[in-house]
Amino acid sequence: MGKTRCGRILSEDIYIEEGDTPTLYFINQLRAYQVVLAALKALDQDICHDGCSLPSTVNKVIKRLGKLKNDLEASDVATEKKESLLSKINSFLADANKLPQDTSQTCRKSAGECRIGSGCFATVALNILKEITESEAPKI
Amino acid sequence: MQTEVLENQIRVLNIVLGALQAATGDLCKGCIGLEGAKTKVCKMVKKFGMDLDAASVGCEKTKADLQARTYSLSKAAEELEVAEECECQKTAGNCKLGAECFVNAAVDLMKLIQ
Repeated sequence: MGKTRCGRILSEDIYIEEGDTPTLYFINQLRAYQVVLAALKALDQDICHDGCSLPSTVNKVIKRLGKLKNDLEASDVATEKKESLLSKINSFLADANKLPQDTSQTCRKSAGECRIGSGCFATVALNILKEITESEAPKI
Repeated sequence: MQTEVLENQIRVLNIVLGALQAATGDLCKGCIGLEGAKTKVCKMVKKFGMDLDAASVGCEKTKADLQARTYSLSKAAEELEVAEECECQKTAGNCKLGAECFVNAAVDLMKLIQ
């Protein structure tokens, strides 16, 4: 079976064998986290840095990346590929851990600073993960 | 246009551009989705800059600050790296996310302030 390039994560082209859906699941997740983390880093430069939604979202990302890491470790993804993807998860976890995680801060809307209406950038940024509609999580 | 509206637009453009910048590091660099998003965001920033120039912002310092931030956004939008020849990476058989698209989702963040 031929290999196809199905992503580029942290400057590395990622290839999979046709039909290798368990590996594809992890690759797609990491592709999404790459974009989500960039959005959260941009939010960290904004007033969201002092709010509670960004930390809450960051905590969710850290928790989900941790679960993704456990799932990948327990999966039957080929060893070499698994190690490569695990290093990327670790890199994303390190990035996420540099972002604010203290949820006790006041919401910037409540503080009267954020006036974008009822929505929230941090909450919606996480929804980028929902764009993945194929390659379901492998049963571990 | 109110200063508040202008600031909200700058805030969201900063986030959208951060996300699109990350997408340029992925397959999306060679995708018409990102190419279209870049065109759209460049136009938005340009129009935003013209609206800002024409707006009467209470404090001159605030206006100058907003203009400086708009210039940075404009530069970031222009510098988004897109391949010379793009094709939809789903159609090319590379992007296997399903029917949706990270780039479109990032641009949709703009809807939060509309």
